[in-house]
Formats: sequence, C-alpha cells, structure tokens
Amino acid sequence: MAAKIFDKETILDLTVNIIPLGIIGFFVVVFAVYDPFGYDPLASAISFGLLLVPLVALAALTYISGKAIAGDEKRSEVFLAGQATVPGSQTLEEYEAQAEPDHEPAELTDDESAEDAETEPTAQNTDD
Amino acid sequence: MEINGQLALTVLMGVFLVAVAAWLTRVENWRSYTPLASGGGAYGQESGHAHEKPGGLIRWFTTVDHKDIGMLYGLYGVIAFLVGGAMVMIMRVELADPGMTLISNTFYNSLLTSHGITMLFLFGTPIIAAFSNYFIPLVIGADDMAFPRINAIAFWLLPPAALLIWAGFLIPTGDIIPAQTAWTMYTPLSAGVGNGNQANAGVDLMLLGLHLSGVSATMGSINFIATIFTERAEEVTWANLDIFSWTILTQSGLILFAFPLLGSAMVMLLADRNFGTVFFAGEGGAILWQHLFWFFGHPEVYILVLPPMGIVSYVLPRFSGRRLFGFKFVVYSTLAIGVLSFGVWAHHMFATGIDPRLRASFMAVSMAIAIPSAVKTFNWITTMWNGRIRLTTPMLFCIGFVSNFIIGGVTGVFLASIPIDLVLHDTYYVVGHFHYIVMGAIAFAGFAGLYYWYPIFTGRMYQRKLGKWHFWLWMVGTNITFFAMILLGYGGMPRRYATYLPQFITLHQIATLGALLLLVGGFIWLYNFIISWLEGPVIESGDPWNLKEDGLYTAEWEWFDRKLQTKITDGGEQQDVATDGGHESDESDS
Repeated sequence: MAAKIFDKETILDLTVNIIPLGIIGFFVVVFAVYDPFGYDPLASAISFGLLLVPLVALAALTYISGKAIAGDEKRSEVFLAGQATVPGSQTLEEYEAQAEPDHEPAELTDDESAEDAETEPTAQNTDD
Repeated sequence: MEINGQLALTVLMGVFLVAVAAWLTRVENWRSYTPLASGGGAYGQESGHAHEKPGGLIRWFTTVDHKDIGMLYGLYGVIAFLVGGAMVMIMRVELADPGMTLISNTFYNSLLTSHGITMLFLFGTPIIAAFSNYFIPLVIGADDMAFPRINAIAFWLLPPAALLIWAGFLIPTGDIIPAQTAWTMYTPLSAGVGNGNQANAGVDLMLLGLHLSGVSATMGSINFIATIFTERAEEVTWANLDIFSWTILTQSGLILFAFPLLGSAMVMLLADRNFGTVFFAGEGGAILWQHLFWFFGHPEVYILVLPPMGIVSYVLPRFSGRRLFGFKFVVYSTLAIGVLSFGVWAHHMFATGIDPRLRASFMAVSMAIAIPSAVKTFNWITTMWNGRIRLTTPMLFCIGFVSNFIIGGVTGVFLASIPIDLVLHDTYYVVGHFHYIVMGAIAFAGFAGLYYWYPIFTGRMYQRKLGKWHFWLWMVGTNITFFAMILLGYGGMPRRYATYLPQFITLHQIATLGALLLLVGGFIWLYNFIISWLEGPVIESGDPWNLKEDGLYTAEWEWFDRKLQTKITDGGEQQDVATDGGHESDESDS
C-alpha cells in the first residue's frame, strides 16, 4: 500500500520538503566532521539535538501528510482547490486534459471572450 | 467599614450578573439554539429548523454563526489596525526631528510597545480569524465550526484583552501607566526591578490582556483543527482541501504549541512582579525569558504569515486565469514551515552570547526554513507567468505581497547568518526587514482578502478607482518607509530610540513621508469601504469576478450565489454593477 502511494509523482511533490531536510542533514555532517568550537558534552548534544529534532519531525510530518494527500488522490476524485463541493465543477483530470492540448502562450490581451465553450454562461454583469 | 463597602459592591455586582443572566434567558431560548446551517444565516433557506436570528445588537452579542463571528473579528481587527496605525503615526511624526519634540521619550516608548502588541495580537491574529471563521466552513462544506459556542467565547475574550492591553492609556493615573517594555517584554526591565517605572500596574494589566488574547487564540485554534479534521464534506478529502484551509490548519497547530508557552512564561513573569518569585531574577534569568519568549515568538511570525500566504495562494490564481502552479508544493512547504518554525527561535538571540555551537545549529535551521518560503514565491510567480492577468485591486495587493515578501525575505536570510546578524542586530535594518513582512506582506494579503471577498460580506462592490489609489499609495509608501529603515540600519541607527543623531535625519524624514502616504491610503480605504457598504452598487451575481470563465469558481461564491438566488426580492430594484474585473458593465443580466 505504502509503496503504491509513494510513487514517482508523489516523491516529486515531496522534494520541496526533502531539500530542507537535505540542508539540515548537510549541517549535521559538517558539524560532525569540522568542529571549530570544540566538543562539549552538553552543548554539542543540544546542538545536534536542535538539528536532529526538526529533521525527524519534518520527515515524519512529510511522510504522514504525503500518505494522507496522495492516498486520498488515489481513493477519490480530485478537484481544483476549493471546488470539490461546487456542483458541476471539473475534476483535476478534466481541467488538465483541457489545458494541455494547446500549448500556445496564454493571451496577453484583456480580451474576455471565452475560449472555453464548455464554461456555462454565468449570471454576472460583464460586457464582452 | 471598608470591608462593608466592598461587600456591598460584591453583592451589587452579583445581583447585576444574575439580572443579566435572567434577561438573557428571556431574549433567547438557549437550549433550543442550534447553529445555523451554512447558507442558512439570516435567510434561513436551507436548514428546515433554522431559527431566525434576533435583531439588532442582540444578534451580534449572542451569535454563534461562524459568518457573524467572522464579521466581528473583522470589525475588531480593523479597529485595532486604526489604533495601532494612529500610534505609529505619532511616532513617525516625532521621528521627523532628531530631538524630543512632539512627545516625551517615555510616551514614545509606550507607543512603541503598544503599536507592536496591537498590530501583532489585536490586528494580525483577529483579521486572519475573520477570514477563516467566515470562509473555512463554507469552503470545506461544513455546517458551521465544530464548536460554535467556543468560537463565540474565543472572540468575546478579545475586547477585554484589548482594554487591558491599552489600560495604561485609558486610565490616566500616576499608578497605571502604559507598558514601555516593547512587545518582547525582556526581563529584567519587564520584571519591574531597578529604578525604572515598569513596576507599575499598567504592565501587569498589559500582561493579563496579552494572556487573555492567547487564551482566545488557543480556543480558536482547537476549533479550527477540530473543524478541518472532522467537519469536512465527504468530497473534501485531504487531496481536495484548499490552500487557505491548509495554512489555517498549520497555523492552528503552531498556536496550539506556541501560545500556551507564552501564557506560562507570562504567568511566571506576573508572579515575579507581584508574588516575589525569582524565575527571571537570578543569573540566567534574562536569557531564560528570551528563550521562552522566542520559542513562542518565532512561531508567532509564521502564525501571522502562513494564512496570508494562503490567501494569496487562493486569490492570485483567480486573476491569473489558471490554477495555482504546484499546489502540492505549496501545501507541503506550508507544513514544512510549520515544523521548522519551532527550530529557529534563537536566531533572535545571536548577540546574547549563547554557546556558539547552539548558534550554529539555529543558523542552519534558519537557512533551511528559507527554502519552503522561496518555493512558495516561485509558485506565485510561475502562476502569473504567461497567465491572463487581471489587475484588479485584490490582485494588485497579491502582487504587492509577493514583491514585498521577496525584499522582506531576502533581508531576513542575511539576518539568519550569524556574522551579519552581529553587525545588524538591534538596528533599523531589523525593523525594516520585519515591517516588509508584517506590513508589506501580511497586511497586504489581508487587504487583498478584504477586497476580494468584499462582495460576499457586504453584498456590494467597492469603488475600483479608490481601491487602486489605496494600493499604489500603500505600495509606494511601504517601500519608501521600510527601505529607508533598511538603509538607516546599514548606517548603524539603533532601533527603539525616540531620539537620534542628526546624521540620520534625512532617512528618518523620508521614512516619515512614506508613513504619511500610508496614512492617506488608509483613509481612502476606510472611506471607500464605508461609503461602498452604504451606497455601492448591489451585487446581483454569485460570480462578480468572472471566475467561472476560467473554471476557477469556488465553494464560497457558490454559497453566495445560492444566497442571492433564494433571497426574497422586495420590489426588484436593479442597479448596474461595475465589477473590479477591468470591465465596465452595460447591463445586468441576472
């Protein structure tokens, strides 16, 4: 189960947290190898604790949240943020499928004419 | 004799409270009161057994509806913002001249302390709570908050907290003077020892008020955690949770761990001041306070900045014509900031002489926490890149947020480096840096939210032109004021002083000029919001920002649309609405 959830896509999403983990890990190694201030049982222990506690906590939270989010992605339909309860809203898959085919650069004009014929007409007060 | 008098007062107060309780039971049948369903509200169109809300002031004093409480938080935050803004304007005008000119140095210290505490605890946290209370239940499809009554209590603790914090100003006696401890309340100054005047009761009242605001924030945070975990609609899975709710969830987690610690530290301080304890008196007492304070204080920074980041992540894509780039990056980096924020507190204490090994560790984590913040910045920029950008007022404030956040963030990365911090510590550079964040970013995002959701909470549209004047005055004013402060810091101008050496006069006057621009912008905003609320064009559509066109229509607007549809018309008066979407309206087709 866990192996399925943490597929390539999910791992890619999690890189954002893996980088700070890497930075902290780097400093753990640096301070272990190169020690300009000497060794003191208490100060050195606290010093490494200050690095290792956030490291472990971040790793744990990243794992748990990754499992929850990626798991839900696989278990049920995914919508754009804030749209899950809106009747008739597209799923993320539909949105992406619609966005992908034309790779032309987005319009730079102020033209509001809808390229998207599927968008239902709205009751708003706009001109064209 | 005196005891009899006190006894009589106590009995009188008791009778008064019983009378109030009896009266309240008459105006409201509490047992039958059920929280209204979302979409219910005063319109009561959804919930079959929804009650009519009582009218007038009673409604606002007795409400447990999340939307009403959100409005109360908003009003409270705005009032606090005006008070805190007035305080700093007096300070900035004083600083236009190097000497003690307009106000006394002690009064300057009082204003400095209260400005900080007011803006952080009475404006920042409540204005975020205004948005989260109003919108999170709507966006996640909950009927209301998980604990509506606790929600109401959490809010009603805040007005007395403000009165206590401002008590020194409000009670003009010699015994009670405003606190002059700065918001950091460093001991031994705040312990009231020595020959200073900080042993007075004004400081105790401020500490109690701050404690109360912490209790309020903690109750609110528990409520949000419970709501987001348990009250989501079935469709709103973790994968579908919106970014604003994610940031509020993370913020609530931070509050839950940070504020009780501040509360404990303040109780210890109060005990030191009043009951002769010596928590912060002995050797190491001052450093103990700093550790306790900053273990709360640094997460507090993220408590304040994460939800505004959520607002920007939520609003900015709607005016870029596309969804947020790297949505999950933003979610995970929010969580990363939440965890790491507890591992960086002593970067505020690099100059105190703590063990260099500890300093090095704090520096490493401070560097690491810059990554998730930078990731978000790139996500916002990439979302806008080649997008169909509509420069509406909320969008301008979002872009202003990103721009100011970059300057505030980059100046912060330098401060995370020990050697640079030792040079710049306690200078105006630090003041400039964190004001780029709290004013340039947090307040800008708050105003982006206020403009974006203005149609929902007022039913009307603001004046676009005034909104843009407000933005540009603030954008220019913020950068003039706080960039001048960064330069002052490079020049060695120490922070917190009411007077300064003549060599700093030009930059100080520039900073004051910028602050005056902010004042003018603030007045324009206030006028615009009040006048538009009273007379602005009525919104007739549930999609005033044309979000459906880009497929970016969200749940709170859908709720608003339903509210408009089911509203009972009272004569069919129609008004054309010019939305802030960059297009004039010709007709109303709703």
